[in-house]
Amino acid sequence: MADPKKKGKAEGPVSYDPSFSKEVFEKVDYGEKIKMCMQCGVCAASCPLSMVMDYSPRKIFALIRAGKRSEVLSSKAIMLCTSCYSCKVRCPRKVPVVDVMHGLANYALKQGYVPREETALFGREFWKQILRLGRIDEKDLPRRYFFSKGIIPGIKKSMELADMGIVLMLHKRMKLLPERSVKGIKELRKMLEKASAMGNGGA
Amino acid sequence: MGDGKITQTILVVGGGISGLTAALEAAEAGHEVIIVEKNPYLGGKVTQLYQYFPKLCPPNCGLEINFKRIRSNPRIRFFTMAQLAGVSGSPGDFEVQIKISPRYVNERCTCCGECAKVCETEIPNPFNFGLDKIKAAYLPHEFAFPMRYVIDPSIVGTEEGKRVAEACSYGAIDLGMKEETLTLKAGTIIWAAGWEPYEASKIEYYGFGVYPNVINNIMMERLASPVGPTGGKILRPSDKKEAKRVAFVQCAGSRDENHLAYCSSICCLASLKQANYLMETSPEAAATIFFIDIRAMDRLEDFYTMIKANDRIRFIKSKIAMITEDEATHDLLVEGENTQTGEQVRERFDLVVLATGMAPNKVPEWLLPYVGLDEYGFVINNGSNKGVFGAGCVRRPSDVATSVQDSTAAALKAIQTIVRR
Ligand SMILES: Cc1cc2nc3c(=O)[nH]c(=O)nc-3n(C[C@H](O)[C@H](O)[C@H](O)COP(=O)(O)OP(=O)(O)OC[C@H]3O[C@@H](n4cnc5c(N)ncnc54)[C@H](O)[C@@H]3O)c2cc1C
Ligand code: SF4
Ligand code: SF4
Repeated sequence: MADPKKKGKAEGPVSYDPSFSKEVFEKVDYGEKIKMCMQCGVCAASCPLSMVMDYSPRKIFALIRAGKRSEVLSSKAIMLCTSCYSCKVRCPRKVPVVDVMHGLANYALKQGYVPREETALFGREFWKQILRLGRIDEKDLPRRYFFSKGIIPGIKKSMELADMGIVLMLHKRMKLLPERSVKGIKELRKMLEKASAMGNGGA
Repeated sequence: MGDGKITQTILVVGGGISGLTAALEAAEAGHEVIIVEKNPYLGGKVTQLYQYFPKLCPPNCGLEINFKRIRSNPRIRFFTMAQLAGVSGSPGDFEVQIKISPRYVNERCTCCGECAKVCETEIPNPFNFGLDKIKAAYLPHEFAFPMRYVIDPSIVGTEEGKRVAEACSYGAIDLGMKEETLTLKAGTIIWAAGWEPYEASKIEYYGFGVYPNVINNIMMERLASPVGPTGGKILRPSDKKEAKRVAFVQCAGSRDENHLAYCSSICCLASLKQANYLMETSPEAAATIFFIDIRAMDRLEDFYTMIKANDRIRFIKSKIAMITEDEATHDLLVEGENTQTGEQVRERFDLVVLATGMAPNKVPEWLLPYVGLDEYGFVINNGSNKGVFGAGCVRRPSDVATSVQDSTAAALKAIQTIVRR
């Protein structure tokens, strides 16, 4: 038998601990749906971001069942989900994987887990830009994000991705000139302000 | 119930192993039986299998015994190329319409094959799922029962058709045959229409029907068969090269709420058996079976244990999420997550066999007042049947042994319907 004091910290096989599952079922949006998961791994292999995630969606659900609360709530994975929906449309058990991932991200924030530094930075720059322009400037946002960590890392990261930038421009996916703001930007700002006053904010 | 007389005839729809079993059991218990079979031959899907699990014996032996029993039993009549077209009346006194398509060849056919020799038109071979072609004057397959040629409608009314008819020196070809509908009496009906492989092109991310080297498991049976399209060699459809690295993708459409929500029960065993076919083709051949879990129940577990002992057959616990093709080579890239190691799977194969599940052949709308279906479309035999009973794979996905048991039970139910009154 595993030492109960070591529960959750043990390496290798872990004992089943339903306490965190219960919390997820009750408190996380769509949390109950993970009861349907049969651990097949289709979501993991469908996810375009799984190579940068610390845990695949399937592993997140396994960790929940194993009672690994802090591993789950502080994981990169739940913050990285970009809502591409590949997992949700393919899941053979109809688990709304995307919704569960967002539910977990939101719950983690409420529980005081700070998302990864980069995610937070990116989120802040994203919102600043939406408030300013009402849209995203495909080159300005990454630039601001890269340089938000200082000049040297900014230059380094920009050099790294220069090739991709050129291809994007060649394919007219990115314009050279700065983007203009959308029509009715003032009204949009009012809407966004009202929305943020109403809700508790997202990631 | 008309004049109150009870018709003692039993109508069996479907001449697969289930229909044949039900028909023989009922006939040998003294009832008149009529079998209605859609194909030009009896035997159903079993005729297309290369070997039976778990004994790895040829299915034709068992079928041959059944055909012999049919030949020697005057109580059984059968119609091929025929379908049930309508039903009226009530249990004990049904009136049924049977639609028979023209075969254009009568009982005088000796299978000499002279018609096929002069025939030039070729059609995709339905028996081999279009993996090869046959002449438009053809014998459906080597062991066909009844052993009689068929003329495809595409050459009827053409000059070629005339030449083909003239080539027969027995006067067996009659291009004037027309579709006919018979009206018969039956006291009870056994629905044994069997199954179809789940339409794998609906699982878009597997590329079936798009990538030539992604095939389904019943096509694999034909590739393995010595009388199949490749003479028993496992050749890739794209370039007819021998397939050495073969992936078996389990639960292709089964156990999936977006497709068939149930386990098809036989596809694990089918893949284990087919991995074994592959082993016999070449010492270099290697099989990888991607699975959620292997479902080999009861005595069938011994077969699983035996296959597992072969070190050229790998088992990877991963439901496959994506298959893509390398356009240059037509090799396939198979992706999933190995749920035992947590690693991503991304491997290249010559051939991918989708272990597609079983979908029951649909009960026509007009028969539904007489028989109930479950949520997946399988026939339920309980107290509510009104003279119509399911037998075999229309009741649940099952292997031959289980289908045979179920069909014997269905025959008994049918007999009870007519003797009780
Ligand atoms: C890849 C694969 C491998 C398999 N290997 C094995 C094995 O090794 N051992 C084993 O035990 N089982 C095996 N099975 C299972 C086996 O094929 C089935 O158990 C068997 O076919 C069931 O027989 P059936 O008569 O119920 O259905 P079928 O074989 O489908 O027969 C139904 C018959 O009804 C006819 N029909 C359909 N609709 C109509 C209609 N409307 N009117 C008239 N006739 C109609 C069809 O033409 C057919 O002849 C395998 C299955 C698969 C998919
Ligand atoms: S695809 Fe669905 S069932 Fe499979 S592991 Fe992911 S969530 Fe679970
Ligand atoms: S028998 Fe095996 S392959 Fe077929 S649905 Fe069941 S688990 Fe999947």
